[in-house]
Amino acid sequence: MTRSKFIGGLKPVLFTLPAMVPFAVFWLAPLLYVLYLSFTEWDFMSPEKTFVGLQNYTDLLSNPAFYKALKVTALFCIGSVLPVILLGLGLALLMNRKLKGSALYQVLLFSPWVTPTVAVSIVWSWIYQPEAGLANAVLNFFGLESIGWLQDPKWALTGVLLVTIWKSVGWAMIFYLVALRNVPSDLLEAGDLDGASPLQKFLRITLPLISPTTLFLFVVQLISALQAYDQINVLTQGGPSGSTRTLLYLYYQSAFESFQIGEASSVAVVLIFLCMLLSVFSFSISKRTTHYQ
Amino acid sequence: MRMLSSLGGLARQILFAALALLMAFPFYWMVTSALKTNDEIWRSPPTLWPEVPLWGNFAAAWNEAPFARYMGNSIFVAGSIVILQIINSGMMAYALTHMKFRLKGVFAGVILFGYMVPATAVYLPGYLILSELHLLNSYAGLILSNSVSIFAIFLIRQAFLQVSHELVEAGEVDGASHMRILWTVLVPVTRSSFAVLALITFIDQYNNYFWPMLITKDPSLQLVSAGLRSFFVEGGAYGLKWPLIMAASAFTIAPLLLVFLLAQRTIMQSVNMTAGSSKG
Repeated sequence: MTRSKFIGGLKPVLFTLPAMVPFAVFWLAPLLYVLYLSFTEWDFMSPEKTFVGLQNYTDLLSNPAFYKALKVTALFCIGSVLPVILLGLGLALLMNRKLKGSALYQVLLFSPWVTPTVAVSIVWSWIYQPEAGLANAVLNFFGLESIGWLQDPKWALTGVLLVTIWKSVGWAMIFYLVALRNVPSDLLEAGDLDGASPLQKFLRITLPLISPTTLFLFVVQLISALQAYDQINVLTQGGPSGSTRTLLYLYYQSAFESFQIGEASSVAVVLIFLCMLLSVFSFSISKRTTHYQ
Repeated sequence: MRMLSSLGGLARQILFAALALLMAFPFYWMVTSALKTNDEIWRSPPTLWPEVPLWGNFAAAWNEAPFARYMGNSIFVAGSIVILQIINSGMMAYALTHMKFRLKGVFAGVILFGYMVPATAVYLPGYLILSELHLLNSYAGLILSNSVSIFAIFLIRQAFLQVSHELVEAGEVDGASHMRILWTVLVPVTRSSFAVLALITFIDQYNNYFWPMLITKDPSLQLVSAGLRSFFVEGGAYGLKWPLIMAASAFTIAPLLLVFLLAQRTIMQSVNMTAGSSKG
């Protein structure tokens, strides 16, 4: 009896092991390790890691490159998340009513999402090519001056953002299409009976009902913006003069290019902290304000 | 009034046609650029279609770097990861939804916590751990380090929650083991979730760049994105051979567009499920 009870208690744990072991080795252990490394100074090569307490963090707070990266990260987040959500919602609203060929349009608008970021970024770097690229040819066609899309610190972030938005907007649209289809039509008809205008119906009925989707897209897009690497690596490598160097890119460069493991780890901890804050924040918002059906 | 709305319909039609054209244009531009000569590609203003399309550019690019090897690596690694994730997510989700055990709450909490950690932020310590385990520069490292996905566990857990306990209990009464119930009862009824998991994971891992690039220095282990990127940087000397680079990008992207066209229903369906699994 006790034996079978013991086995009965062990079996569920055995079922979790194939997931929990790699999870512990490749998620939890690195998480604790990076926290530890952020309190040390190390260059990859020397056998000893020197414990330096909070020095990496105080150094970070007095490092202008950190504040610049923080600003670029904020701009990157705002500049990718808001357009993706607004355009995604706008397109979904336009497509929600009967439209011939909407299946084809959906496929075309969604297709950038499945393609490898590296490959499409290479294509875009040819489009952005200053002398013979398509982007400047279009500008010239309309009588405008050429732009150093990826070479000019004023424009480089915009160039990277355009690729990012291009890749995600169709994906957001599909999420909103599904959400809009789930808005019960009797509620909208009730709005009609009360003489509500289309705008009122949208603001009072549709928008609150699709708010879980908005929140979901907001969080997912924000977290992926904080982690954007591929397109930055191909298009600008964080340049010119740091204008596209996000926190993540700063982290990568100080770890794998200048081998400042301690400094890099403290940036990583800041990044992890930001993501957790956002998750907790969005979770508490979703509990309070979004309307689940 | 009716005329107005039909006019609106036409306007929307034109708007969407223009948008779809705009979104797909980079793909068109990639293909036409791939077909141009090195002279023509630098012409300004650019030609919309090459004077003499050089279809041989595709073969030339294919032979300049071991792309077959890169694609093979991507397919092998992504395929192995899909199989491992199906197994461990299925078992984990089964334990979380249809078994009782003391640590359940703790495990669920730890996994939820992991959901909040940005994977890229732990690439440095992950790299160091992989090097301790002597798994750098190996297929085993590429596969094992990606073998668990929190998203996959959530997705399958959400699907299993909708299967009634009675179905599982009926299996237990018949004397079937948990393993048997999982793979012969639960998985078949939730197969659409597994299809989504397999497809999304495969595409993600096939395209994966940052992490595989960090943990493999050996060119013969490179996945397709890293391989293409090194062709872009080294072989093309940053763009002196743009037509070949565009050709290489085209045959990297084409299989994914093809998979998407063939499986678009499943991929679009994933939207329903990811939105659902985030609520659970």
